[in-house]
This record gives sequence, C-alpha cells and structure tokens, in this order.
Amino acid sequence: MTQEVTVNIDGAFIRAPKGSTVLDAALGAGICIPHLCRVPYLEDIGACRLCIVEHIENGRSKITTSCTLLVQEGMRILSNTDRIRKLRRNIAELLVTEAPNSRAIQDIALRCGVVETRYPFRNSDCVLCGRCVRACTGHFGEKAIGFVGRGKDRRVESPFNLYSELCNECGRCIDLCPMTIVPCDGNMKPGEGRLCGNCESKMLTEEAAQGYCIGCYMGDGFQCERSITNTL
Amino acid sequence: MPSPTITTLLEGHRSQPHQLIEALQDVQKHYGYISEDSMRSISDELGVSLMEVYSVASFYKAFSLQPRGKNIIAVCTGTACHVRGAKMVLNQAISQIGAEPGEISKDGLFTIEHVNCLGACALGPVVTENESVHHHMDPGKLRKLIKSLKKGDKEGASHV
Repeated sequence: MTQEVTVNIDGAFIRAPKGSTVLDAALGAGICIPHLCRVPYLEDIGACRLCIVEHIENGRSKITTSCTLLVQEGMRILSNTDRIRKLRRNIAELLVTEAPNSRAIQDIALRCGVVETRYPFRNSDCVLCGRCVRACTGHFGEKAIGFVGRGKDRRVESPFNLYSELCNECGRCIDLCPMTIVPCDGNMKPGEGRLCGNCESKMLTEEAAQGYCIGCYMGDGFQCERSITNTL
Repeated sequence: MPSPTITTLLEGHRSQPHQLIEALQDVQKHYGYISEDSMRSISDELGVSLMEVYSVASFYKAFSLQPRGKNIIAVCTGTACHVRGAKMVLNQAISQIGAEPGEISKDGLFTIEHVNCLGACALGPVVTENESVHHHMDPGKLRKLIKSLKKGDKEGASHV
C-alpha cells in the first residue's frame, strides 16, 4: 500500500501519495494551477515556471514550481495569492510574446490574466518547454533531439543539426509540442503578433476566480486530469 | 583521421559516463577543438548518447567545436577593459588576422576570442596570447605581438 500524506493547498486538506508532486496533488483535487511544460508520464523539470506556488514553511513563504516540489506531511501551499498571480501573469506574458502562434500558450496567457503585453512579439516557434526533449529521452530513450547551446542561444536540435539516425519517427515530440495547435484565426506573420483573445467569452478572466476549474480546452495533451476525466 | 589516437586518449574514461567532461577536455587539449568524429567516438567509448555529448560540448564555452589556430589570442572585453579601449584592440586584431572572433585565420596560425573578464581589471586592456598575459594593450602593441608570433612560427620551434 502506498503511504499517503496530507497537504494543505489553498486551505483544503488533500491526501496525496508520498512521492507525488504538489502539482499532481492539486490537479487531482480540482485546484487548477496553470502549467505548460508538464507531461503526466514524463519527468518534470520546471522549465515553464507557470506552476509556481507559495510554499509556507516556518512562517516564511518561498516561491517555487509545484511540479518539482514533492508533497510532505503538513505542508502549506498557496497557489492563488496576489503575489503568485502577479508573477504568473508576468511569466505568461513573456511566453505569449515569445510565441503568440500557439493556441495553448494564448489560452494559458488569457487564463493567467494577461490583457496586454509590454514586450514586442517575437513570433519565435519554440519556448524551450522541453516537452519534446523529455519525450525523446525520458521514457523511451531514443535521444534523437536535445537542448543545444546555452543562454539566449539555447535551442532544440539533433546532434550537429543533421537528421539523427536514432529517430524512429514516432512523432511523439510533435504530438507534445505546444506550437502545433495554431490560434483559431490561423498563423500570425512575424510582426503581426497579437493576443488573440478569441476565447475570452468562454474563459473566466476574473482574477480572484483563477483557482477554480473552468474546464478550459488547451488542446490535446494540455488538459489537466480533471478535464480528461470529465470527458471520459 | 583521429581514430587511432582518440582511442588511446579515451583509454582511462571507457564506459564511465560521468567522465564525459574530462574526456571532452582531453580531446580539446589534444586536438585544440572537438570534431564531429571525436564526439561520435566519445559517445561510443563512454556509453553516453551522442545527443548528450553534443549538448555538453555546446553548452560550455571552454569547448570549441570549430578548429582553432595554433595561437589563441583572447581579448578581454569586460567593463574595465572596454572603458580603456578593448574595442579598438579587438578591431585591430580582427583586421590584422583577417578572421572574425571564433574563426581560424587562413594560414591556420591564429584564432581571436573575446572573453568577458580575465580578472586583471587594473591592468586593462588585457590580452592573453596562448597562456601569457599582456597588460595595457593598445593597437600598436598588439600589432607588434602578432608580428612577433608570426615571425616565431616562421623561424620554427623557439616560440612556445
């Protein structure tokens, strides 16, 4: 039998199996913490930083990514405070200006309350979430693609930028890529990047209500467990 | 080409994935850079995937993936050196050698690099030529340095 611990997330006492992450526990209990780089069956690396939470320990709060934070007995987590919302909005704003051509990222930005952007749109086609890289290395281990370079030159590539003979064309990297779901209006050309905001009517944008599940649709592979179980 | 010697280079690292950086350092020291072939050999010998070798080699600035010249001239472009005219020194070096930073010169003798700080700010602008440090550089002194290096190479052995 798996051992269970009790954690306090946003005031709710949640039982979660030992060794699971705070994000998993929260999503399992229907507390929606926005997330992008997480894939349920892959190792989490905390790349997108969207799932940040406040971890209160000895009266001090520490901000960390919930996907890399393991549950502990008696933990106190706050996922929807003013501070978190402000930081998360900033992160979502940066992500959407980097890659406005993704329905998933546009929806996440809207969900995190981004109404205007203060940065120029880059129309890049990668946000380095690492979903493809982890799909290729983690579970099945082909290791045909990976991160190359560092800092602003970091990119996803195969060795020497040649077609890797290790790739067996399973297509898992493409299935998991947030850039494959284009916004409803179609692709934006460079320089025409904007917030699409198409789904505004469907989304609950009121800031304080962000902790509740609204059954958002982020495209295949991006739903949390709750919406998957709802549709089944 | 590197096959017979690279196996001896990797002798101590065989089947030890955690020694990846040491292996790369040895190859870099021996060949001056890390070629595609040597990366493939390292991947085979150490049992690390090629992707991982390539990721690590491209991550660290200490590893060069392009061939480098016999003499490596590193111009410091840190704040203190910049204020004292490192830009002029760098431009002088580029025009003297005829290659952009990171590239190898046509005669295969020189590679220029720019580094962010050498930790000798009081002596700026600082230039290191191979392992020796030259202080208070200006375009004129650099020209002389490059000339003497070229001469040394022509005369043969004497210059190390």
